Amino acid sequence: MIQVANLSYAIGRKPILQKMDFSIAQNDFFLIFGPNGAGKSTLLKLLAGILPVQGGEIFIGAKSISRYSKKELASQVAYLPQFDEFNLPLLVRDILMAGRYPYGSFFKKYSRQDHEMFEKTVERFALADYIDRNIQTLSGGERKKVLLASAFIQDVPIILLDEPLNFLDPASAAQVVTMLKEMHEQGKTILLVSHLLQYFFPQANKMLALKNGETRYVGAKKFSAQLFQDVYHVSVKQFFIGNKEFIQFDE
Amino acid sequence: MSKKIWLLAIIVFLLMLIVPFFGIIPIHWQTIFKNNSNSFVFWQLRVPRTILGFIAGAILALSGLVCQNLFKNDLATPDLLGISSGAAAGAVLALKFNIVVSFAGMGGLVLFSYLGALASVLFILLISRVVRRTSLYTFLMSGVALNFFFSAWIVFLQYLFDFSNTFSLLRWLLGGISVVGYHEIIFLSGLLLVFLLALFIFKSEFLLVAAGDHFALSRGLHVHNFRIYSFIGLAFIVGAVVSICGPIGFIALIVPHIARLWGKSHYGKTVFLSLVLGGGFLVVADFLARTLLSPVEVPVGIITSLIGAPFFLAMIIAQLKKAE
Repeated sequence: MIQVANLSYAIGRKPILQKMDFSIAQNDFFLIFGPNGAGKSTLLKLLAGILPVQGGEIFIGAKSISRYSKKELASQVAYLPQFDEFNLPLLVRDILMAGRYPYGSFFKKYSRQDHEMFEKTVERFALADYIDRNIQTLSGGERKKVLLASAFIQDVPIILLDEPLNFLDPASAAQVVTMLKEMHEQGKTILLVSHLLQYFFPQANKMLALKNGETRYVGAKKFSAQLFQDVYHVSVKQFFIGNKEFIQFDE
Repeated sequence: MSKKIWLLAIIVFLLMLIVPFFGIIPIHWQTIFKNNSNSFVFWQLRVPRTILGFIAGAILALSGLVCQNLFKNDLATPDLLGISSGAAAGAVLALKFNIVVSFAGMGGLVLFSYLGALASVLFILLISRVVRRTSLYTFLMSGVALNFFFSAWIVFLQYLFDFSNTFSLLRWLLGGISVVGYHEIIFLSGLLLVFLLALFIFKSEFLLVAAGDHFALSRGLHVHNFRIYSFIGLAFIVGAVVSICGPIGFIALIVPHIARLWGKSHYGKTVFLSLVLGGGFLVVADFLARTLLSPVEVPVGIITSLIGAPFFLAMIIAQLKKAE
């Protein structure tokens, strides 16, 4: 589904990502982790088509990402940024509907199907009380939920998420984790950047460890204390309760 | 649309009906259909002036709204960014050198205003190319520079050709409405209609850019192209208004701000409120400009700036406090 070959990215002379190679199949849960400044967010932005590919190739389906039109790409890939940039008062309703923009044409922006998808999303994310509110008046957790819903309404096979649990209290975080799990179980392909391995490691089936823009490990998920030590300089423990897998950082 | 908004529209409409009767010479309603000097003043000066005030105010407010969306910030307006003063400088250039050209039915004045506005827009786009990580303050500072530059240019040209005519100078520095007849009104009302149409055709696009570049891009909007086309259109709109009324300040800042508040961020309501409030605000400001120091008339830009500048300051302080 996604094929990344020899991908490099630099800002000026400073290399951010170096020679990355990996592939992602349909319905993979691909966990990307590594210390701050490792290049995780840059990688997601490249995959979302927000940054242009400089070196190497990204294939989505059979086509190179640079050959997609913006709308075509937006009907394949949804992207949830680490920070939202809402600087003007905007209604939650409009933010959600924007997710249907890739399916509209110049003359007919929204179809009946778009409105049905809107209703469905509002119900699923319990946003009925929020749709006519200004996004700026929402709390961090509520804003994250709206963003997640705006990725859901886009109804695409691939979802990219950058630190989806940032600024969330434990209850909201658990809610988001559950929602993601459901989306994964319904067949979505998920690529997720997070430090919070304890939340996402059990769900993932593939993983990528990044450090200083270099791949330290990529492939099937496997627990390796040595890898975590190398990437994060902390020791991580794995344990099972029943057959449920848990990950814990040592102090 | 809620009742309050319609009520506001009706109030503005009624104001527009009353305002032309007042001025240096009060006009009695019974005389306006008789053939005398009063009816000339009424139908050829005051009524067109009131209509022009409404249309120009509405266009200025809407151009502010668009500009704020394009920059994702409610302090970014054509006057503060230096687009209006660029247009004014272009207009003064065409006037003083008596440049008679015509393109697609537009005279030298409109054309040169447009070119002046476009020069400012290109300068702003150039800055955002050269300086990475541009913040709003980069643009506002470059706006300060552009405003100083173009003001100096206008004053220079004025001194060069006719240093005794201060009213003309003030008009191109601060803006003022005075028309005879309906020629300009037909042109500007056509422009306003096209502008409103564009605001509704491109509603989703304007909402997307307002939500942020990454957000818009990942929903399939080619933000870069959309922004450039919008700026080219905006420069034309601002150029056209300024060529007729001069760079009337602060309407583009105040009105959309209030419209967003009262319209509860609803797009359609915000557009409608900007239209009604922008038009109403300029009509009232111009009424004050005509009558406050009667029989002396002050350029309306003085009134809007006297109200607008403290408002701008309060908004800056509010933003800085929020950023802390």
